[in-house]
Amino acid sequence: MQHIASRILDRELKKGSAELLILSLVEDRPRHGYDLSKLIESRSGGVLTFRVASLYPLLYRLEKRGWIQGRWVEKAGQRRRRYYRLTAAGAQMLASQRSTWKEFVDAINRIAGVEHA
Amino acid sequence: MPEWPRRLSEEVRQHLDDEYDALRARGVAHDEAMRRLAPDLEELASMRARPIDALAGDARYALRALRQSPLFAAVVVLTLALGIGATTAIFTVVDAVMLRPYGYPDMDRIVMLAETTRRGQTMSVAWQNFQDWRAQSHVFEQLALYRGMVVNLTGSDRPERLIASLASSNLFQALGMQPIAGRTFSSDEDRPGAPRVAIVSERFWRSHLGAAANAVGSSIVLDGEPATIVGVMPAAMRFPSRTTDVWLPLGPFVPGFPPDRGAHPGLFAVAKLASGVGVERASAEMDAIARRLERQYPISNTDHTVSVAPYYEQIVRNVRPALLALSCAVAFVLLIVCANLANLMLARGDARQREIAIREALGAPRWRIVQQLVTESVVMALAGGASGALLARWAVAAFVASRPTSVPRIDQIAVDLRVLLFTLIVSVATGVAFGLAPALRASAIDLVTSLKDAARATPGAARRLRALLVVAEIALALVLLVGAGLTIRSFAALTALDLGFDPSRVVTMRVALPNARYPELARWIAFHREVLARVAAMPGVETVGLNSATPLEGGASESEVRYEGQPPPRSASEDATTCLFQAATPDYFRAMGIAIVRGRAFTARDDAAGAPVAIVEEALARKFFPDGDPIGRRIAFEFAGGHGPAARPIWREIVGVVRHVRHYGLVREPDNLEVYAPLEQLPIWFRERRPTMTLFVRTALDPEQLAASIRQTVSSTDPEIPVFGVTTMDSYVGQATEQPRVNMTLLSAFGGLALVLAGLGIYGVLSYLVGRRTQEIGIRLALGATRADVLRLVVGHGMALASAGIAIGLAAAWALTRSLGTLLYGVSPHDSATFAAIAALLAVVAFVASYVPGRRATRVDPMRALRAE
Repeated sequence: MQHIASRILDRELKKGSAELLILSLVEDRPRHGYDLSKLIESRSGGVLTFRVASLYPLLYRLEKRGWIQGRWVEKAGQRRRRYYRLTAAGAQMLASQRSTWKEFVDAINRIAGVEHA
Repeated sequence: MPEWPRRLSEEVRQHLDDEYDALRARGVAHDEAMRRLAPDLEELASMRARPIDALAGDARYALRALRQSPLFAAVVVLTLALGIGATTAIFTVVDAVMLRPYGYPDMDRIVMLAETTRRGQTMSVAWQNFQDWRAQSHVFEQLALYRGMVVNLTGSDRPERLIASLASSNLFQALGMQPIAGRTFSSDEDRPGAPRVAIVSERFWRSHLGAAANAVGSSIVLDGEPATIVGVMPAAMRFPSRTTDVWLPLGPFVPGFPPDRGAHPGLFAVAKLASGVGVERASAEMDAIARRLERQYPISNTDHTVSVAPYYEQIVRNVRPALLALSCAVAFVLLIVCANLANLMLARGDARQREIAIREALGAPRWRIVQQLVTESVVMALAGGASGALLARWAVAAFVASRPTSVPRIDQIAVDLRVLLFTLIVSVATGVAFGLAPALRASAIDLVTSLKDAARATPGAARRLRALLVVAEIALALVLLVGAGLTIRSFAALTALDLGFDPSRVVTMRVALPNARYPELARWIAFHREVLARVAAMPGVETVGLNSATPLEGGASESEVRYEGQPPPRSASEDATTCLFQAATPDYFRAMGIAIVRGRAFTARDDAAGAPVAIVEEALARKFFPDGDPIGRRIAFEFAGGHGPAARPIWREIVGVVRHVRHYGLVREPDNLEVYAPLEQLPIWFRERRPTMTLFVRTALDPEQLAASIRQTVSSTDPEIPVFGVTTMDSYVGQATEQPRVNMTLLSAFGGLALVLAGLGIYGVLSYLVGRRTQEIGIRLALGATRADVLRLVVGHGMALASAGIAIGLAAAWALTRSLGTLLYGVSPHDSATFAAIAALLAVVAFVASYVPGRRATRVDPMRALRAE
């Protein structure tokens, strides 16, 4: 029971907050897709993972909305990769989503009585 | 490095490369690495494919989603199977009977002609009148004449009775039919004294002539006379009936027709309209001809005109109202099914709001999500359609096996490819119909709201949509149930009718003696006397009688009847009282349980040597002798010397009065009065053209068991004579009530289904609402509301929906049941008792459907409900 509940939570939370995660990760520096997926997995301690089929469409959509911008970068000895960086509009959206998320988490904490989220 | 599909973007392929490299670097073998990447690839394939692939992907996804909720899927598929199955079954019948082209090339130009009185009574055509029609009309390309008859086929091991038709030589041209072998009749063969020839049906050609190529030219023995086969007609030739096996030229039989215009010897005309001529113009011309004949022959033709009706109309006239009503009913059922499932899908859409929100978040455009959801409902509809087609196959097979006599082309009714195509279209349409609105609803989710509210609140629009669907369902169910209720009342009225006889334990069969074999009347009568004696001696037989007519079967002989002392009429049709006259043996009345109200039945002394006697029905006695005793008075229905003032009545003394017997079916009875003469004093009309007598045997045992041995006994009297139509009077009654019974059964079944679905609809919506509002209910309870308040809240909501549905349904039913008119007997289409009862029934069902979730709501624990948030 516990197991199933946490699995559902995991699926919903991680996907519901997908935009927030991506925007946060490209905030400090541009990153490529594989990098992003590995970061999400490692930083969440393996709780959150993204499938290729989910990640890239999301990236394209965020780019289409003008929140991130991708460009091909050639590096010596490596094949070219597409790096995404946060745009000004993206930074604004990130701030707004962060506060929404915080409100949401706080609200849940208040009701559910979880001390540290 | 593995090869990734080319159509993936470079970026995605790199990602896969990276993942593969990473796995390999950790020491994972190639195969294992590929296995781990497989889910990603599969997902990519379904997301990035071209539309057609996307559809397949959606279908796969839909199947997976349905497997995850098998109960939901089972309920949906079963509901769909019932709805689509019923629709398919009714369509199968409608298609075979009304939509498929009939086998005649110019069906729309074929018309049927009959003589009618201006009061609307239909008669067959007088031979002399037909000659004038033919000479004077210009609106027909062909004007042909036919007459149904029964012939005995002998010459093989067992004599057989064949359905035959006398046909003028141009009948086949009028219908546009070509023989598949040989030729049609020549005009020389269509003359008195011409050598006997015959055309046979394809069925007869196969069953009796072994489909032999040299069948044309061979001969068969009909009614004791050899006839040469000149042609074979294709199976599409089903005129005058689909059971017609042999056609004979009419000409040689003409000398046997009565010589005067007042006689109507069972002839009917069929014509092909000249090109460019409509039915109205043909009607107008025939009416003009009838008026000329009226002036020329006032005695026989006064008040007579000609009816011209399209042949197609005549075939479908009797079944069309029922088929239309059933088509409407089944459409209603399907609409209710859609409404119910749309509601179910809305609820499911709510439950899946998160899943959908996530997909949106992941960049799936809205149309993509709608497509996915609609694919899901279409997949379910297809599953339902497949099961429905199976149900329809069984239902239609069972219906055809019950051999309904009132349905034309019954032998062609089957679920075939054409029907399955219809089912497929209906299934897809149904899937879209019940899936689209919920899909649009479900996909219109604001991401932030759905996260914030944790998918708690149902948007107002969706709630209104659900309420609307339930109201529509109840309204449709009410209309259906009112229709079903009316047919039930009508059927009850039909079965409560007084038949005038007691059908239980009566076996009947017919014996047609050909004139050629029994030319003298004495021998003909002696044969019947012998049959009666042999059957009466059988164990298990209580009484046995013969009659020239069969109750409920119609087709008896009619004539004018008058009483002694009545002033003679000025013309044949003026004020004439017509009677249905029959020739019966003494025990006929006892065998059929026909009550003798006054006087006596015939006895053995009422023979050729005795004084001519008759038995009449009560209504005739009342009409002719309102004040006095009819016994001993004299009536006549036979006239020596033709019709008109010159006719000399042949008087018979009334010896008995009996109850009225229904002869023309249960519902419509022409106002003929019934008269019986003793068989041994055979009416003169019958002396030339002897009737086919029907044997009525009242048994002490199960009539079905005795039927075969009675038949054998009758056959043993003369093995050359076929005995046919062996059945029970109960089955005649069953046949007469068949169409109303089928209508009632089907409408009730559809109504019942509608009731269950509507009940489930209310229940579903309220259960869902209670589930959604657990918290609100908890708060209400915490704030001091009583459980009764909560129950009232939920049930009140349900009853509000029900009331709206019932009100709309009553109005719609009031408007629609009028079209049931011709299907109803003894009950008004606006029968207030039925309307009230059905409204009450729906209200009760709605109450129960609301009460159950209402009770659940009262059991909400306020504390738990509040903590749950």
